[in-house]
Amino acid sequence: MITVDEKKMEWHQGITIRELLNRLEHTQFCAAVRLNGKLISTPAFETTKIPDNAVIYLLPLIAGG
Amino acid sequence: MAEFTLKEIKSLEYVRPEIEKGYTDHSLHVDLSSKDIKINPIEPKVKEKFIGGKGYDLWFMWNSVSGKTKWNDPENAICIASGPLGGTPGYPGGGKSIVTTISPLTGIPIDSNVGGYFGPYTKFSGFDILEITGKSDAQIVVLIDGIDSKIKLYEAEGLTDDSYTLSTQLTDYFDKEKPVNISVVSTGSAAKHTELGCLNFTWFDAKRKRVRYKQAGRGGIGTVFAHKNVKAVVARWGSVSMKSNNPADFDAMKNVTKLHAGEINELDPKQNRMALVGTTHLVPIMNDHDCLPVNNFKYGMHPEAHNIGEAVYEHIFDKGFDGCWRGCAVACAHGVKDFVPFTGPYKGQKVFVDGPEYETVAGCGSNLGVFDPFFILEMNFYCDTYGLDTISIGTGIAFVMECFEMGLITKEHTGGMDLSFGNRLNALELLHQMVRGEGFGMIVGKGIRKMKAIFAKDFGADAAIMQDIGMESKGLEFSEYMTKESLAQQGGYGMALKGPQHDEAWLIFLDMVHNFMPTFENKAEALHWFPMFRTWFGLCGLCKLPWNDIVPEDNRQNPEPAKVVKHVGWYADFFSSVTGRKVSPDDLIPMSEAVYNFQRLFNLKMGYGTREFDTLPYRAVGPVTVDEYLSRVERYDKDLTENYKVDITGMEITEKVAVLRKHREARYEQLKDAVYKRRGWTPNGIPTLETVKRLGIDFPDVIELLKANGVC
Ligand code: SF4
Repeated sequence: MITVDEKKMEWHQGITIRELLNRLEHTQFCAAVRLNGKLISTPAFETTKIPDNAVIYLLPLIAGG
Repeated sequence: MAEFTLKEIKSLEYVRPEIEKGYTDHSLHVDLSSKDIKINPIEPKVKEKFIGGKGYDLWFMWNSVSGKTKWNDPENAICIASGPLGGTPGYPGGGKSIVTTISPLTGIPIDSNVGGYFGPYTKFSGFDILEITGKSDAQIVVLIDGIDSKIKLYEAEGLTDDSYTLSTQLTDYFDKEKPVNISVVSTGSAAKHTELGCLNFTWFDAKRKRVRYKQAGRGGIGTVFAHKNVKAVVARWGSVSMKSNNPADFDAMKNVTKLHAGEINELDPKQNRMALVGTTHLVPIMNDHDCLPVNNFKYGMHPEAHNIGEAVYEHIFDKGFDGCWRGCAVACAHGVKDFVPFTGPYKGQKVFVDGPEYETVAGCGSNLGVFDPFFILEMNFYCDTYGLDTISIGTGIAFVMECFEMGLITKEHTGGMDLSFGNRLNALELLHQMVRGEGFGMIVGKGIRKMKAIFAKDFGADAAIMQDIGMESKGLEFSEYMTKESLAQQGGYGMALKGPQHDEAWLIFLDMVHNFMPTFENKAEALHWFPMFRTWFGLCGLCKLPWNDIVPEDNRQNPEPAKVVKHVGWYADFFSSVTGRKVSPDDLIPMSEAVYNFQRLFNLKMGYGTREFDTLPYRAVGPVTVDEYLSRVERYDKDLTENYKVDITGMEITEKVAVLRKHREARYEQLKDAVYKRRGWTPNGIPTLETVKRLGIDFPDVIELLKANGVC
């Protein structure tokens, strides 16, 4: 089980950030997430595997300074 | 601390205009040449059209300067205004000041949106805007004392040039018992030797018992301030409450304040955590997307970038509330205590550093090829203390370093200094030279545009290559984002009224990462809506960060999440509740449009403001050099073959660089056409007669200006 934006979701071995986003709605503007407190950006979505019990927040559209 | 004297030379007692629905409807004018102090009513039609803040600044400046006025002419004005909503405690970002003047770097109006308490305190003291003109022989301190209803001018002697110490001394001097009543505007000692001077605006941090700073950084406003011989402008005001603006509908204002602040308190910890890390979260994100400027914007990422990002600064920042306006829930104005510089006059002493923000980290760190968080703190500290803009300093020194590495300048020109990328000590030495008024630092302090001319004329450097790598447009140094892969952001910088600062439009991710605006028309629409909406914050005395750096949880379900429409609705409610002027979200853009177009016309009045000035150095558009091309060879080859349908078989890299350049530059010109059309401008980038009439800014002198430029 993982927690995504404070909602529980099923977890499976090897799931990546990209797969997770594909399972969710309205994520086309997500360019960064916080995975267990660490920032992960788009270029690493395919390769970053989510561990079990992870806590994930989807960051809002990056808006610049 | 050194002894100083303030000799009162002028005092004016006044009846404090009451605040009504966010406005005092009065202006304060100080002429430093004649020492005249004037308080004038502001006409309703000015309020109706220019709203406040930057709108008021531009209108007052327009009436003070002629098209021939230079930055160092006495008639050049420094205007500082908050806005009708400015000074609302608890509303996130609800207390900004907007500063304008004719910039020494650009020759056109520069505007800067800054925190600290000065703008609200000046308004509560009775004035929607302060305008300073003239030039004094002696150093002057201006006091706006809203508690005692007095405006005073003092001749100052013995006051330090060091901005931190100066602000502390004057805060103590004018209200030792209640330092929170004081806000000081000052610059530092390098402002008079350079054209990159900033203004420091203070607020008193009651918990830390110290004066804190925010900067009106861009465009050399501090240089104008120093040239006028103003040592400081001080505002003194007492208690502030949600009723201070005397809002039209208090309950509605309280309600929308609660909604916005409540949302930020709940969501910031889950989103960008700005209350903990400020804007340093952007460093790793920009780096991951190849958008963090490295080595003078040559590259967009570096393996050591994470050393200067949020993960490090979170542990360096002093913990505690860091709102640069009272009760701002974002509270992102962090600082570092007990930092010990390793160079300069503060070497070995413990100091407090206000910052760094993303721009300073990228400008004075990665862009100089330095990934040391403590070096960045030292650059930040000395820039503030000396009154220098960290963005122009970072981008300017990055240019110098690339020129040095290319052999365009040598140790012979730099006074023996090795200015290769990564040379921390010599970068700092340039700042110290600027304050001492000596050495190569004096040339660097003139900004990139003038450096290019000096390097070419006096050092024989190749002007063409410097044109390509010198990251300035309209004379202003770029802020710290890479734009090579975002045509929309190239427009966001190249067509920004004051020069390449991202506060008009920040479209990199929408464009480059999300491909949300594939056509020229889409981009033009974005380059209309975003600059107009962002302008609105400057009219009202607000900070833009709470608009789109923390967003509602359901925002991503909106088809246009970048606009954060729920917040736009709140801003309309906020405006209506304070001013009593009922507006809907759709009304906000036309409000800004009038001021935005007026600023464009102001540029025209000053001899600029046409298509030829909306240009970019090629470094902002594509790879200048062969090694730059090779560093992203797949990307550029793909661009040539897929987007421009070029057969690259057998092409040398130099040829590829040239062909890509031809296409990308043509594409930028096409974008200009689309944007000008969308904004209601001629193909030469001038607002049409129809546009100025529609916006109600068809004043007789505007019509004359259009006629003189062949528009009607
Ligand atoms: S969001 Fe940050 S910069 Fe803006 S007013 Fe609040 S503390 Fe200041």
